[in-house]
Amino acid sequence: MAIIERPEVATPAVVTPQQTLGAVKRPVDTKGWREWLFTVDHKKIGIMYGVVAMVFFIIGGVEALLIRLQLAMPDGRILSADQYNQMFTMHATTMVFLFAMPMAGAFANYFLPLQIGARDVAFPRINALSLWLLVVGGLVLNASWFLGGAADGGWFMYAPNSGPIFSPSHGVDFWVLGLQIAGVASLLGSINLIVTVLNMRAPGMSLMKMPVFTWMILVVQFLLVFSLPVITVALVLLMLQRSYGATFFDVSQGADPLLWQHLFWIFGHPEVYVLILPSFGIISEVLPTFARKPLFGYPFVVFSGASIGLVGFGVWAHHMFASGLGPVSVAVFSVATMAIAIPTGVKIFNWLLTMWGGKLWYTTAMKFAIGLVVLFTVGGLSGVTHSIAPSDTQQTDTYYIVAHFHYVLFGGMVFGLFSGFYYWWPKVFGKMLNEKLGSWNFWLMVIGMNMTFGPMHILGLQGQPRRMYVWTEARAGEGFFNLGFWNLVASIGSFILAVGVLFFLINVVVTARKKEQAPLDPWDARTLEWLTTSPPKAHNFDRIPVVHHLDEFFHRKYEEDTATHTMKKVAEGDALVRAEEDAADAHIHLPSPSYWPILLSVGVGVLGLGIIYGIPMMVIGFAITLFSAYGWVLEPSVAEEIDFEPSENGGNTKEIAPLG
Amino acid sequence: MFTPGSKYFLGLTGLALVSAVLYCFLVNPSDLGAYALFGLFLNAAVITGFSFFTRDGDAETVAQAVEANTDAPAPSFWPIVFALGGALTLLGIATNEIVFVIGLAVLVGGGVEWTIQDWAERASSDSEFNQFVRHRAVGALDYPGLAAVALGVIAFLFSRVMLTVSKDQATIIFMVAATCVLVAGVLIGTKPALRGKATTLIVVVGVLVLAVAGVVSGINGERHELAVVAEEKPYAASHRECGEEASEHYDHHANNTVSLRSAVTATVFVRDGKVVAQLVGMPKDVDTITIPRSNATSILFRNLDKEDRRLVANLGEAKVGTTDVMEKVGTCTQLTGENQEQVLTVKIPKPSNPESPYTLTVPGVEGEIKVVVP
Amino acid sequence: MDTVSHVKNSRRRIATTLAGVAGTIALAGCAQNAPQDIWKPAGDNAQKINALDKIVFPIAGIVGVLVTALAIYIFIKFRDKGQAIPAQSHGKPIVEIILTIVPALILTVVGVFTFRTIMDLAETEDTEMIINVTGQQWWWEYDYPVQTDQGISQPIITSGQLVFPVGTNVLLRETSRDVIHSFWIPALNGKKDAVPGRIHLLRLQADKPGIYAGQCTEFCGLSHANMRMEAIALSKEDFAKWVAGQQKAYTSPAEGTVAKEGETVFINQCSRCHQVNGIKDANGKAIISAPDENVYSGAAPNLSHLMSRNTFAGAMFDLVNQKCRDDVWNAKSEEFGARYLAGVTSDCLNEKNLRAWLRNAPAMKPMYADPAKLEKTNGLYRGMPNLGLTEDDIDKLVAYLSTLK
Repeated sequence: MAIIERPEVATPAVVTPQQTLGAVKRPVDTKGWREWLFTVDHKKIGIMYGVVAMVFFIIGGVEALLIRLQLAMPDGRILSADQYNQMFTMHATTMVFLFAMPMAGAFANYFLPLQIGARDVAFPRINALSLWLLVVGGLVLNASWFLGGAADGGWFMYAPNSGPIFSPSHGVDFWVLGLQIAGVASLLGSINLIVTVLNMRAPGMSLMKMPVFTWMILVVQFLLVFSLPVITVALVLLMLQRSYGATFFDVSQGADPLLWQHLFWIFGHPEVYVLILPSFGIISEVLPTFARKPLFGYPFVVFSGASIGLVGFGVWAHHMFASGLGPVSVAVFSVATMAIAIPTGVKIFNWLLTMWGGKLWYTTAMKFAIGLVVLFTVGGLSGVTHSIAPSDTQQTDTYYIVAHFHYVLFGGMVFGLFSGFYYWWPKVFGKMLNEKLGSWNFWLMVIGMNMTFGPMHILGLQGQPRRMYVWTEARAGEGFFNLGFWNLVASIGSFILAVGVLFFLINVVVTARKKEQAPLDPWDARTLEWLTTSPPKAHNFDRIPVVHHLDEFFHRKYEEDTATHTMKKVAEGDALVRAEEDAADAHIHLPSPSYWPILLSVGVGVLGLGIIYGIPMMVIGFAITLFSAYGWVLEPSVAEEIDFEPSENGGNTKEIAPLG
Repeated sequence: MFTPGSKYFLGLTGLALVSAVLYCFLVNPSDLGAYALFGLFLNAAVITGFSFFTRDGDAETVAQAVEANTDAPAPSFWPIVFALGGALTLLGIATNEIVFVIGLAVLVGGGVEWTIQDWAERASSDSEFNQFVRHRAVGALDYPGLAAVALGVIAFLFSRVMLTVSKDQATIIFMVAATCVLVAGVLIGTKPALRGKATTLIVVVGVLVLAVAGVVSGINGERHELAVVAEEKPYAASHRECGEEASEHYDHHANNTVSLRSAVTATVFVRDGKVVAQLVGMPKDVDTITIPRSNATSILFRNLDKEDRRLVANLGEAKVGTTDVMEKVGTCTQLTGENQEQVLTVKIPKPSNPESPYTLTVPGVEGEIKVVVP
Repeated sequence: MDTVSHVKNSRRRIATTLAGVAGTIALAGCAQNAPQDIWKPAGDNAQKINALDKIVFPIAGIVGVLVTALAIYIFIKFRDKGQAIPAQSHGKPIVEIILTIVPALILTVVGVFTFRTIMDLAETEDTEMIINVTGQQWWWEYDYPVQTDQGISQPIITSGQLVFPVGTNVLLRETSRDVIHSFWIPALNGKKDAVPGRIHLLRLQADKPGIYAGQCTEFCGLSHANMRMEAIALSKEDFAKWVAGQQKAYTSPAEGTVAKEGETVFINQCSRCHQVNGIKDANGKAIISAPDENVYSGAAPNLSHLMSRNTFAGAMFDLVNQKCRDDVWNAKSEEFGARYLAGVTSDCLNEKNLRAWLRNAPAMKPMYADPAKLEKTNGLYRGMPNLGLTEDDIDKLVAYLSTLK
């Protein structure tokens, strides 16, 4: 859709400009790698988000394996103290900012417009900018490994330990800059998606007919819009302190180090829901599909999601129960934290009741979704145990917490994402992932995950603190619960987990080499994204669907048999898709590719590095940024006819006009 | 295919690069000259980039546009702005820095506007389209630039007001202003009919109120205690006079309120004409407090006496400079009224000597609190 | 068929997993000899926390088992057996409301108990003794203000081991000289961060004499893992003996002994940072160390009565050999005081660790002690540098240090 449209040329007598507003010839109709680099198509961007996130998942995973290797035995020697500190800092940072958020972004980008019956997101070039800024941010973050050492202050980067004196390498500088860039990417992305959801739904799709996945993504974007500015402020303050001698967190100048903690966790707690809600959304699509029943209590699931988001802003200090807040604050935050368990519990019960009375079909996607329900429950219950502030002062910063949030984030979030992979793979790539390999993938991940993180409950309750580069035999104890045995079990488990993930990658390769195309409606699915070809055409829908029901696609296929209250199939999914194709709209117009998003991102990256490497680099970065910003401003979002090469037989290759 | 302009800059870029490299080899790579030449190269490269990648680099398009462009150039007031900028800049060099900065801003702004207008007029023969091009190009600079200036002016005016009024008034004004902004925002947001003229009216009224208040406050100057602070630096250690009587330099408008309670190690009271201390966490009078070495430590002073009192820390003696003359070291709070409190922060790097311990005293009141630094 | 076997698998797997997790959590409290076990309270404060755990963990366990059982029932009962696609019911609000209210009620009950415990643990009215605890990279300093009712007539300063009397409500006043640390003795109370510029209060109380292990739990940089602590609870009589020992005046070693030569080495090399109370130079002038001129935090452990402690270097290394260590750690509570107060006798001294430390401290414990990399701190160390002592100096120093009883 065009953001700004070029006015109609006034009179035919004048000479039309030969290039669009003086900018470079646009990359329309490109092929090969350029088709990807300069694209503004939400589907291609979504796939690239997924690839980038998967690469960082592997990097973060290798970091995790190194950590577990170091801790497998007492007094580990695989990593030095310094390397270990960098490793756990970057593991968390990578997994949160470069895997979990982009992977959710991948799903959101690809499926959100499809689920609401739109042709693209509201601001396609900004969408591309989000992706490339994220890539640049990730590169800046990880470049630190090769440029003097990565950040070593933990992903929470508590002041004053993150200050220039206590962390003298450039690692924290790279971290601060990388996260600021990635933060801009997320912020742009979230505004983009909010506008898309609010303005571009297909006719008839009221908010309460929106798929739950879209709903959860919408909640997440609001969380991001309100929480990212806080961390950005904190990061800017830290940057000013480290690079320009400010003293925001310098205690000798009268600063209070708790300021950072408050800023970080006001962002950091909503961030937890940013990570988990997309997966909740995914399984709220998968469970109804494979239970052949609509989601139980749709409005309750939606509102519990929204209220988790809202209450999530009022519980940040439960990360700080040991920080020395007064007893009254501790009590208030403790109770607020318990309160957040209620909507979360509602979700779990709703998923179970969705399956109640259903017709359960155990595909790999369904198994992962079930895995989420069970494993998240374990993590949620251990979460309740540390909402009790006095208990939390015993548990916090021990492996018990590590166990808790890995059950929530790995058992919850990652399982949800994998469920999404298996469910939507045929939609995205037109081929079915192998179910047999999928089964291996699932079971190895379940076993590995429980072997890795289950023993951590014991380790934590036996008093092993987190973030220690070694543990010592002297504090390990004896008997069944000795730290030595369970640390070893956890380390072995982590490798089983890694093999499980490897099976997924193998499955991807095997599937890619397979010729056989997936059916158009392999799962007998329920939502609009299945009302088009697999993979969808560039313009998504041949005809913008008109929505009458929640689960529109399902209701086009089935009608209720009023006598038996069961559903009777009245149409086949692929027939419906073909019917749409036959009734295709004419004159579908799409936003055009652009050089500027990727170039602008590079400029921002160079500008950021300039803060570390000095003014000349900043000047270069600024020049690139300014130049590409100008190129962007002068380029309408939809290409002109003259932007296309004249076709050989004289006529236009494409019809151009803004999309509605 | 290239225009003369882009050819010129391309040449300049190459020449600058070659000379810079030669200069590095032949003269001195870390010399100012090298920086200048590399700077020239960078600048020329950017301009070349702009002219090459924009339509200006393409001679044919320009030729076509010029050929087709039969309209006379539109009237423009940018030349006169540009000239005014030049004059102001020169005047500023001779007189005042602020005039110079304003002049420079006008000069650059006018120059950019002029350039873009000229450039846009050659964009095509379609004047409407040219208008559109100009708005796009200028808007990308104008709106952010003007918004930044406007925000700066608003912040400056508002800060003048807040610095003039008393602390209590400032709170009220802030609440009123915030409420006005909220109400206006809600009205504009919920009543679409209000947009347009009514919005303009609200904004104009707001700006006028702020401008008048800001100017009046600016002329009035800052409130008394701030002016004193700016003038005298009363919190500097050299100004501290720790006697019983009020000090002319030090005892201005002590605020007598304390916010950093979490950092307080002990409380010293003047109670019933005596100095007593209590450690935080143990409500029991003690006559000795222990302070960790090399750690900034805060002591709360609470005056329960009718008279104004101050707390003085006597921290031993030290040599003055390189001489052998010994001088007392210490610090004190400002005079504190009845039932009010102040904090004294000390950082003591050396342990205390049992023979002559550090003490806390209150001039005019009997008793002392020993300070032990282990 | 395939599906069915999957169902069976998943049932078995999930059941064992959950039983495993729930079982291990429930049983973790019974473990033997894990010194930082958080479910072995040895004092009033930890007891209060444990009482809460005893409510919450069973509730969580029961809810977990019920939910899992329901889940497994659903997985089996409603698997695809070829039944027709069910009616598209969108849920029953009454079920939802019940499912919201029940957990809310449970949590309200738990919340009331929690609230009371929070307030109890913040109470300071009943304090009987105060100890100032100061964290720095990577060791803890404990100083005891003068408290005549506890027999402390001179301030005592020590590090590594926190010694306090049993049955006494001790209040720790924590702060830090550099970054945030966290003080945690699981058997006695939860954690409390030591934050620079702030003073945080933490109650400690032990029922029985004994040694209680702890560990810094707020990530504090390079040697975070090596920043340990040990809390020593002594009976009131033993504590009085310990206080007397700590307040004993300094006696210089006899002339002509190796230890006397060691004192000279100490004065030349060590007393720049480390204070030994009462040590005098050749002119009889008291030597006052100046860690503020050499170390970023401005402090180094006071070594006046080094041999009364069993550990050194932030409780990272034992000053006693394995046998003597086991004697202390495994002592019955009535014998514990005597064992501990014996200190580091000559047969107990673990010379190997001490010598290695004196030879090259940064090789033993990661620290910022490379003189070439101190530009950010203006040449101040964070940790103990390699002093380049000769073996001869080390012999003398060890002989001297072992006189610091």
